[in-house]
Amino acid sequence: MATMLTPKDFATATPSWWCPGCGDFGVLAALKQALAELGRVPKDVAFISGIGCSGKISGYVHSYAFHGVHGRALPVATAVKLANRDLTVIAAGGDGDGYAIGAGHFVHAVRRNPDLTYIVMDNQTYGLTKGQASPTSATGYVASVSPNGNPDAPINGLALALAAGASFLARGFSAQPKQLVALLKAAIEHRGFSIVEVMSPCVTYNKVNTYAWFKEHVEDVAQRPDYAPNDRLAAFDALTREGQIPLGIVYEDDRPTLEDGVRLGETPIARLELRTDDPRFATLQDTFR
Amino acid sequence: MILNSVEVMFGGQAGDGSLTTGDLIAGVFKRMGLEVYTYKDFPSRIRGGHTNYVIRAGVSRDYGMADAVDALVAFDLEAVEAHIEEMRPGGFVVFDNTDEAIPEHLRRADLNWYEIPLARIAKEDLGLELVRNTISLGVLGALLGMDPTIVRADVQGVYARKGEKVVDLNLRAIEAGERYVHEHFAGQPSGYGLTRGEEGDRLIMMGNDAIAYGALVAGCRFMAGYPITPATDILEWMSKQLPKFGGVTVQAEDELAAINMTLGAAFAGVRAMTATSGPGQSLMTEAIGLAGTLEIPVVIVECARAGPSTGMPTKTEQSNLNLLIYGGHGEIPRVVIAPGTVSESFEFAALAFNLADTYQLPVFLLTEQALCQSKATLAPFDLEAVAIERGKLIDRGAVVFGEYKRFAFTEDGVSPRVIPGVEGGMHLAPGSEHNDGGVITENSRNRARMMEKRFRKLETMRDDLPKALLHGVADADVGIIGYGANRGPIAEAVDRLAAMGIPTRFLQLRTLWPFPEDEIRAFFRGAQHVFVVENNFTGQLDRLIRTVVGPVPALRALRKYDGRPFRPIEIIEPIQRLTDADLPVEVR
Repeated sequence: MATMLTPKDFATATPSWWCPGCGDFGVLAALKQALAELGRVPKDVAFISGIGCSGKISGYVHSYAFHGVHGRALPVATAVKLANRDLTVIAAGGDGDGYAIGAGHFVHAVRRNPDLTYIVMDNQTYGLTKGQASPTSATGYVASVSPNGNPDAPINGLALALAAGASFLARGFSAQPKQLVALLKAAIEHRGFSIVEVMSPCVTYNKVNTYAWFKEHVEDVAQRPDYAPNDRLAAFDALTREGQIPLGIVYEDDRPTLEDGVRLGETPIARLELRTDDPRFATLQDTFR
Repeated sequence: MILNSVEVMFGGQAGDGSLTTGDLIAGVFKRMGLEVYTYKDFPSRIRGGHTNYVIRAGVSRDYGMADAVDALVAFDLEAVEAHIEEMRPGGFVVFDNTDEAIPEHLRRADLNWYEIPLARIAKEDLGLELVRNTISLGVLGALLGMDPTIVRADVQGVYARKGEKVVDLNLRAIEAGERYVHEHFAGQPSGYGLTRGEEGDRLIMMGNDAIAYGALVAGCRFMAGYPITPATDILEWMSKQLPKFGGVTVQAEDELAAINMTLGAAFAGVRAMTATSGPGQSLMTEAIGLAGTLEIPVVIVECARAGPSTGMPTKTEQSNLNLLIYGGHGEIPRVVIAPGTVSESFEFAALAFNLADTYQLPVFLLTEQALCQSKATLAPFDLEAVAIERGKLIDRGAVVFGEYKRFAFTEDGVSPRVIPGVEGGMHLAPGSEHNDGGVITENSRNRARMMEKRFRKLETMRDDLPKALLHGVADADVGIIGYGANRGPIAEAVDRLAAMGIPTRFLQLRTLWPFPEDEIRAFFRGAQHVFVVENNFTGQLDRLIRTVVGPVPALRALRKYDGRPFRPIEIIEPIQRLTDADLPVEVR
């Protein structure tokens, strides 16, 4: 069954709302390809997204999709995984959803390390509200609310995650689909919280960080001699070095997941039989006598 | 001789052990067959600061605080200064005079004074200052005429797991207290006596214990929460128990995460809840709107405390009713139920999950500090009476993709609900307005139908909601309306007014939303005066009632907003004044 799946099995009838040329199309195509190649079936995929252009992606993937409130995809996704550990859980959103309004949850999801995949579609602008600076916009970026240039320093989401204890960090580029599929597959298969940040250009509002600009600035870390993705310091160096945007699996390690930490049973909680006649309830009542 | 009704207050510095001693004496009262209510009045700090713990014992179940304190055990002078005015004439004070003396201006002549160097006896005779609390229990036992064997049995029971040495030390402390009274105050009886009440199998627990226990029995297997007074007890208890039953708790990074996690677990098919108090409730508002529009069953326990902002975190108030009923942008159907006793806290916790699952919406279980952190004696729960009703849940098998519509328009407003893993049920659950299949649309006709469908649930659920309880004389001229922790003092006021020859009736509201309009209207029929009793400044319940009955002259507000629960006399006196023709009617 698994090998028979194709990306079309994950397609929905809903037409996309994205602008022609939007980087998010590349992310959507790569994700459907990755899920099909991994043999995941739509009924067992829970896809949680936030708000913004990129947050719409959950509506375009045939699955159990949840399009919640702004910035809160990760708490929802974490709980879905705890509730039913048999599901493939994917969360997605933009740089605003994940690194601004949802920044608090981002750090804590990293700490907890639930076995799910988080895709951050980074276009360095707010698209759906028509072009304001985002937390990843460069200092000086001119936008409607920062006419004299963005006064804030950009957030380095992956470096932040590394500091918080991330167990899987990767970055892709929506114009490099083959690599992106491979990264998403590795992320989904990773045991723990996997982050795939995808450079996903906004062709409508961001006239600085264009496809051409990215092509000039990205660099595949896997191409570097001796790059070891289990070396935290090397990963931090790669992520914070000026002037380059490393692509590929930047960091990967194996540490206990949230499910391990809470000693979650093998039976998904959602599959437990609920009985009110469990004799242990009467024993518990005795503690109040 | 005052028999079978006493209110004891232990006062001292936080961390002094007032709570432990209070729980001990509550246990003794329970063993004596008396009914118990406790009230914690502690500061929002861990060490230091005046704290007190009130234990009221009597023959009537589900009463709250008494009119006044009968017996004050003051571990320091501050406790006397703070509470001397609350003492009933004829009551008594046990004061630890090891380091301090009672100034003459505080020495009320209408009280009995027992000045005992509790700390010195503890240190010099027993070698441990900490046991002065237990000595005070011995003192009280002697002054109140409690059966010494029961006192010993309780101490033994409580300290048994700490080992023989600890049990022995505490037993000697009890004896030291009793001996001191016999040796020094033989000629000065307290005027109080307690006889045994009716024997019977009973529990003693806090409202929060009952909520957590009820939720567990009812099948709650996921709880996410952020620590906040006075709700934390529930998360703590569940964290101990849920893993044993295959479930899990999460200590979230904030209440935004807690409520969104609750939604996530419920979306995946697990009975899920969160518990919080005012500040956290404010933060949860947006996601509760999402639960409304996505028709996700979630249970939110609101343990109200005095607000706004940080307010008085450890004090009681009923000021979050508006927040629960109106909170959030847009409009969603929701349910607010409020238990009035610890027993009801258990029942309503279980009911909340059935309502949430059956009608696929957020259900608030509203309680407050004076109930959720108060202990009471109660009959054991009938576990067989707890039913798990999951409504139109499809949690296994398959549905036909394309035919199945998650948000199908139905007569009762409730659509069959699939969970992830069910073949063919794949759909989008969006916070945006959507059609029956979950596809986002701003179509005007669909929008109107969808709003009507969601709100239809409030109509179809009417018969499943807890009915208001009528106490007292059904056709009395004077009526009282209240809910939550006020059930205790109001019920006591009704009983005592009846004994004075003033018949009254009391409508204890148990469903606050959808608002029980019919029950309110019926209650006003034939009433000359209706008192609305609530713990807030602006009259949140009062205003809701006015929207139903209009600006009737019969309606009178009785409000308290100092962070403390009503004492029955505060309800009795205004009614007495009202029914006394010679006195002008002046009730705010």
